[in-house]
This record gives sequence, structure tokens and C-alpha cells, in this order.
Amino acid sequence: MVTGSLFGIAFDALRTNRLRSGLTLLGVIIGVTSVMTIISALEGLTGSIEREIEQMGPSTFMIGTLLTAMSEQEALDKFKRKPLDYEAVQIIEDGCEVCDKVAPRAARGEDLKYRDQSMYDIVVVGATYHHVEIYDLEVDQGRFHSYEDDLYRRRVAFIGAGVYEKLYEGLDPLGKDIWVGNQKYTVIGVAKKKGSVFGASQDEFVYVPFDSFRRQFGISRRGLYISVKARSVDQLQEAMDEVRVLLRSQRHVPFDQPDDFDMLTAESLLTMLNSLTKILRFGLVGISSISLVVGGIVVMNIMMVSVTERTREIGIRKSVGAKRRHILTQFLFEAVILTLSGGIVGIVAGFLIASALVGMLNVQMNPSALAITAGLTVSTGTGLVFGIYPALKAARLDPIKALSYE
Amino acid sequence: MSLIETKNLWKTYEMGAEQVHALRGVTITIEKGEYVAIMGPSGSGKSTLMNLIGCLDTPSQGEYWLNSRKVSQMNDDELANIRNREIGFVFQTFNLLPRATALHNVELPLIYNGTSAQDRHAKAMRALEKVDLGDRVTHKPSELSGGQRQRVAMARALVNDPSLLLADEPTGNLDSKTSVEIMKLLDELHRQGNTIIIVTHEKDIAQHAHRVLSILDGEIAEDTTIPQEQRNGVH
Repeated sequence: MVTGSLFGIAFDALRTNRLRSGLTLLGVIIGVTSVMTIISALEGLTGSIEREIEQMGPSTFMIGTLLTAMSEQEALDKFKRKPLDYEAVQIIEDGCEVCDKVAPRAARGEDLKYRDQSMYDIVVVGATYHHVEIYDLEVDQGRFHSYEDDLYRRRVAFIGAGVYEKLYEGLDPLGKDIWVGNQKYTVIGVAKKKGSVFGASQDEFVYVPFDSFRRQFGISRRGLYISVKARSVDQLQEAMDEVRVLLRSQRHVPFDQPDDFDMLTAESLLTMLNSLTKILRFGLVGISSISLVVGGIVVMNIMMVSVTERTREIGIRKSVGAKRRHILTQFLFEAVILTLSGGIVGIVAGFLIASALVGMLNVQMNPSALAITAGLTVSTGTGLVFGIYPALKAARLDPIKALSYE
Repeated sequence: MSLIETKNLWKTYEMGAEQVHALRGVTITIEKGEYVAIMGPSGSGKSTLMNLIGCLDTPSQGEYWLNSRKVSQMNDDELANIRNREIGFVFQTFNLLPRATALHNVELPLIYNGTSAQDRHAKAMRALEKVDLGDRVTHKPSELSGGQRQRVAMARALVNDPSLLLADEPTGNLDSKTSVEIMKLLDELHRQGNTIIIVTHEKDIAQHAHRVLSILDGEIAEDTTIPQEQRNGVH
């Protein structure tokens, strides 16, 4: 009952001082906005990367000689490893009991051409027909290549939506020619549009059958990537163990030496992503929090002025029976109403700015519950932390001195 | 037991290295329903005595019972509670909240004892009508005359039905005509059974009371009962 009235008193006090309240808010708004912008933008970006990774599926893992490197030295060392060759694919296919599908993949950049339209340095991937089953590659028109295409090394191409838009705008691409490097292929399918991540289009690629790729380009120094799908999620670990044994023996790795290849699951990729963004998040949020502290100090300063100005009011309230905690609560309410309303404006503004920023990169973003909760908590906390001192000062005033204050 | 009983009240202030005794052993008894004036020149200690009686402050030494409760050793919050329930203040400078309406000013004491909004409104309205301001409830202090402001303050003092009405120079900031009006109202409130203590340095005002306590240099110099025929106002 009393608390509700105190809230009303605090609210009225702020309302009668609109301009000052507004200016005080500004600091908090800027602080919360910057924190929110960064949290929302990071959430939006990592969210879209996560969706990308999750396309790999939970029962699939990837093998390569250079999949991850936490340092330049590590990358250089891994670069010197013996590349994975096609024999490795066959060994896994023959030797791994719990492996469902084994899909080798090799990639390089090549120029594309259709009549007078060209694209330069586009990712050309040689992959087997399994690929479409392991990855979430959605077919928009036509089809992905089949077992027969692989078997007979047909020169057929499955193109990304970006390639379709660039080379065949307004045309039916199916059955059309496409020059990949110095060889002519036939378009058999188009993938569904994916959009872009970090401003890079995810739709500019060409898939050709693995053996057609091998015949045209050979296998580069960087070698193959092999994707393996276990029979089930439960058998993922077992499949990885089997593959590890098979590859170590094929590559003659002594038993006391570590693997000379990397294996990655979607889960481990997500973990890596999280550990990366965690650093980013702490760093950026930390820096932007400085403005929040500044906002808090502004609130504290104004509350101090307000307490001094209203010394007599406090004296009057005390003379009619306000207890310390009543005065304390009233002034804390004022500080928290200020910072919380600043926080709400900041959350909305931050989300809008983040959407605009991330929107430029074509990533779709939703308001995150985490960001909103964090924003509300932080702004309330700012009010409490920076409001407590002025409020205590008000609560401790001596009623006689306060009443005679001019 | 009497409404107010003080025993040997001392109030000492530290002024640097020096000790200043504002009160030097004041012992008084005031019964319920009395109309008392505390008189004295400035610096005599009458304000200090009023602050102690009004529970705005605690004595350095001595004991004080208000309504059979020993208030001389109470802490801040207990004193606030006593001020809220037992005492109604009327100040020389009115001490109204400038931005609040008359009604809200009168409601103020009720806010701090958790009276519901509905009851608050009803009680405050009643108190304002009692001081003849029922038609000015939405006015702010700046829109009211001095006499009207002091009447708002009196309504605020009365709203909680206190045991004691404590008026500190209630007419000090008013012209003589308005002073008469305010004193009439105080006389009327006394007639209705309220216990009233006025602190003043004006003899005219003091003579409205039935008993005058003269204070000088922190001590009670005289305690006189004023015979009915010498009283000002109608009793």
C-alpha cells in the first residue's frame, strides 16, 4: 500500500521535471542502446552461422587435414600434412561398419561462363551423390547428381541460386551449358536461395560429380574433405573411432603420435563458435558498458541535486511521519524509473540499430529474450546502484535541519 | 497519566569545543485537553523544547513520556511513527509541498501509515471541510492566500486525529486580520477537545491559551494559568 503510493510520488516528481528527467535519461539510453546493439547484432550473426552449421546434421562428421587452427603456427603445421587422398575414402567405405554414407569432397575456385555472361573465382565442389543426403542442400529446380552421374563421370552441374541469377536471369537453366574452367558442363539443378552471412553470398557455388572433378582438376595439394554420416547419432562416436583407426593405419601414424588429420562434428563446430563469440561478447559488451556507467553517474549526479533541492520537502515528509525507508524507497523509485525507462527506450533503439546493421548483411534477426532480459536487468541495476547513495543521503537527513533548510 | 510528562530535559549542542545548553532541566506536565502557550524570546530554547515535544528530536538527558509512552529513547523510525499518529504540526512557514494540491498535502500523513487511497481521500476531504476549505481542494499552495495555506496545514495536522496539535508561531507569517482568523480556528479546535500547544513570542497570541509556560535561558521561568477574563478569543 505505502509502496504503491511512494511509486506514485516518485513518478509525479519526475513528471514535474520533464526536461531534466529527459536529459538524465539520455545517458542511460545511450548506454543501454550501445550494449543492446552489440548483444543483438552478435546474437543475430551467430544465430545465422549456427543455422548454417546445423545443416551438417548431428550424426555427420568431417575429416580433413586442415579444418581448424587456433594459431597461425598450427595452421602452417597442418598445411604441411599429407593430404587426404581418394584411397582414404575407399578404406572408410570398406572398413567402417557403423558408417552410413561416406562423401568425399574437393573444392577449388574456377571461372564460370554461359554465352556472354561470366563469373570469376567461384567455388566449384566435386562431391558424390551422397552429399545432398548428408548436408541440407535444398533443391529448388531439377535435381542433384545421381549415382549414375558419379559412376559415368558425367559433366553435369548443380548450381547455386546466385549463379543461376547471374548467368541465366529469366531463362530456364535446366539443360543449358555452363563452362567450368575449360570444360563444358550441363546444368541439371538449382539450389534453393540461402542468402548471405557476413555479407558473403551463400549462393555462389557449383557442384559437379566427384569423379568428373577429379578427372578435370586432379586432387589439389590441399586434398580432400570427407564427410561421414554415422548410422545414427548414438553411433557417431563409434564411427569416429573406427575412422580414426582406419586412417591412422592408412597414413602410417605411429601409435605414440597424435592424429595427422582433423575430425569435426557440428557440435564441436558450435562449441568453437561459442568460445569465439564469448570473447567477442565479453569484450564488446565490456567496452559499451562504460557508457552505461557514465549514464549511471549522470543519474546519480541528478539525484544528488534533486535531494539537495528537495531537502525541505524531505523535512516536511519526515515531520508528518515518513520513515527512513519511505524516503529511501521514494528516491530509489525515482532513480529506477529513470534508468528503467531509459533502458526500455535503449532496448528498442539498440534492436533497431542492430537490425539495420545486421540487415545490411542479409541476416534475419529476432529480438532475443536474453538481450531484453539483460537490458532490463542492467538498467534497473544501474538505477539501484547509482540511486542508493543519494537516496540514503535523503533518508538520513535530520528532520529539523531539513525543515529549516532554505 | 498525563498526556505529556517531561522530567529534567536537557539538550546540549556541541559547537566546536564549546558545549551549548539549549535546555537545562525542563520538567513539565500537560494534561489532555489543555491549551498551552510556550513563550520566550529567541534563543530562549523554546524551539528546542518544541522539537523535543514534537518528537523531531531526542533529549541529551532526561525523560519524556507522551501518552504513557517513553519517547525519549526512541529511534528514528519509532519517532516517525509517533509523529505520524500522535502529533499534528502547524509551522510558521506552513511547510506545504509546493507542487501538490491542497488535498494531496492533507493526505500526506495518511500515506505513511498505509491508509488506502479511498480512505485517504475521504479523511482529507473531511479535514479540509473542517477548516472551511472544501471548495479549494484542487488548488496548489501558490494559488492560495497565506491564511488559506495555514488552514491547509491545519487540516493536514488534524487529518490523523492526533493527540496533540503543535503550532510553532502559527501566525508569524500572517497579517493581523488573518492571524485573528487562524487563532479563532485554533480556539475552536480546542473547544472541540484537541490538546493544543502554541509556541510564540507574541503576548497577544499566547493569551489565547489557558496556560503560559515562559521559558528563559533553557529553563521554565514561569508557569501561569490565565484567568478566563484575561483570555483572548471566545472560550
